[in-house]
Amino acid sequence: MAYEALDFYDVDSLLTDEERMIRDAVRDWVDENVIPNIEKACRDEVFPDQWRVDLGEMGVLGAPLEGYGCPGLSYIAYGLICQELERGDSGVRSFASVQGSLAMYPIWDFGSEEQKNHYLPKMHAGEWVGCFGLTEPDYGSNPGDMITRAEDKGDHYLLNGAKMWITNGTIADLAIVWAKLDGVIRGFIVEKEDPGFTAPEMTGKHSLKASVTSELVFQDCRIPKDRILPGVEGLKGPFSCLNNARYGISWGAVGAAQSCFNSAREYALSRIQFDHPIASYQLVQNKLSWMLREITKGQLLAFHLGKKKDDGTWTPEQISLAKMNNVDMALEIARMARDIHGANGILDEYPIMRHMANLESVKTYEGTHDIHNLIIGRHITGIQAFTREP
Amino acid sequence: MGIAVLLKQVPDTTAKITVSGGRVDEAAVSKWSFSPYDEYALESALQIKEAGGGDLIAVTCGPARAAKMLTDAAAVGADALVHILVDDLGALDTTQVQAILAAAVKHIGADVVFCGKQAADTNAGSTGPGVAHLLDASCVTMVSEVAADGDSFTAIRASAGGNERVAVSSPCVFAFDKGTTELRRPNVRGIMMAKKKIIETMTPADLGVDTGSSSVSIDTHSPPPEKPPGQKFEGAESVATVVGKLRDEANVI
Repeated sequence: MAYEALDFYDVDSLLTDEERMIRDAVRDWVDENVIPNIEKACRDEVFPDQWRVDLGEMGVLGAPLEGYGCPGLSYIAYGLICQELERGDSGVRSFASVQGSLAMYPIWDFGSEEQKNHYLPKMHAGEWVGCFGLTEPDYGSNPGDMITRAEDKGDHYLLNGAKMWITNGTIADLAIVWAKLDGVIRGFIVEKEDPGFTAPEMTGKHSLKASVTSELVFQDCRIPKDRILPGVEGLKGPFSCLNNARYGISWGAVGAAQSCFNSAREYALSRIQFDHPIASYQLVQNKLSWMLREITKGQLLAFHLGKKKDDGTWTPEQISLAKMNNVDMALEIARMARDIHGANGILDEYPIMRHMANLESVKTYEGTHDIHNLIIGRHITGIQAFTREP
Repeated sequence: MGIAVLLKQVPDTTAKITVSGGRVDEAAVSKWSFSPYDEYALESALQIKEAGGGDLIAVTCGPARAAKMLTDAAAVGADALVHILVDDLGALDTTQVQAILAAAVKHIGADVVFCGKQAADTNAGSTGPGVAHLLDASCVTMVSEVAADGDSFTAIRASAGGNERVAVSSPCVFAFDKGTTELRRPNVRGIMMAKKKIIETMTPADLGVDTGSSSVSIDTHSPPPEKPPGQKFEGAESVATVVGKLRDEANVI
């Protein structure tokens, strides 16, 4: 059956023809390439390299950036791309988010002309993969106290430290690494061949199994002087990247929730108990109705935030709300969908458990659910509650 | 060289078809797509254009909704788009549709025509030969592959004992069976270019084609008969019954 996306309030009618065509192209690619292969990719714990090639050929990596070979799509179009990719799997959307929002964006916004011309066209085409090193083993929600250091050695920088939970790390050709230079956080471009740099893969995940997660280790890692990002200092650098990625997640979560809803609806209509489809029972209808309600709200939230991204009137707090709400809603919908599927819900014949396990990561990465609450709490009260320090 | 590709928008092969009042309920079709054989024709024409140059003009005859398909064709590389607007294609018989398409090909001045061997909805299979007849052009049917050398073409088509290689020169029509390459996927750049392409929209009357009366009409559509329920066998004692049925009823062993 052709996939019919839940769109109760006809958000489709608010899109441009171009946005719809891009959404449909990605939707078809996910139907033909991701959904038939995702369970095997998860079992094998690999991100199929062909997906990198395909995403590059489709031109969706770094889609909202303009110039340097990038198309400059609307943020609505970028959101739709994330939505469709995550309907397939959060790991596929993570690959695209990290490449576009976390690796390409800082080069595009804070890089030198030479850096932009050198890296961005090949990254847009998927030929070079990027990753983003901010989180450290002991510094997750509190990146400002990071340990990783850069030293100016005259003709080069010397990096020492370690990053953890880095999507795409082992398969990356380059890493955007945030490190302290004379006590100030700066961005550096580290290439995979740089001496003293290794990126071992982290294994044993029960979540995002089709996504590569790595450590980045810098042991007297020497990089040329022209690899510092000249345009930004302090946490503003990594946080501005995260704003874009979090925005994409708010759409992606809608895609994962739509996938769970569709599966639950189909299952409820075909599963017969006590001589009738379970969809005919009030308790099940109540659950399906709740799922539709939450997805519809999440869609409208993401769409309106996209419009604000496109006209430049957004605030980071609005992004926090959308990321937090939509991931939370998608995770609850995955759990409820599992409930509707009964025991069948735990099988990989259905996408439910995979989405649920993925969304546990998505709830935590790119600003945990609680940290986003604190961002909004500070907005409401004017009092920061991240730390006990004044 | 002008290459016309005749495209028909049909219900997607995965879409659910419902019949209401003796007619397929078009409003209930959730997704419309290129007719699959037309996709092979379009991909082959794109490859000919890339190898030897020329203008690829995508042509369709159908209601307003079919315009989207032309934009989809532009997104994968069609240079120009022609839409002959016919609100109810089902009211026309195949010779009338052929007359419209042949007039459109003449209008755009194409020398070579690519199309599918049949549309996935009507399955009439008459467009290619019919258009060729009206254009006084050569026609090769059941084609899987075409190569061009100037105005000369070689086409591979299925024959009784394998494949035939047919040489033909323009003007000519190729009606595609399943081709060797699936239609390429549109990319973002193609989609952004496609929105700038203007669709030339006209009516059959603009082309001088009279669609006044048809001598053929469809009485009713009906859904295919429902499949009989499957049979279920359990336990070792049923083996002999199952083997018997596979041998005598299904004829598979």
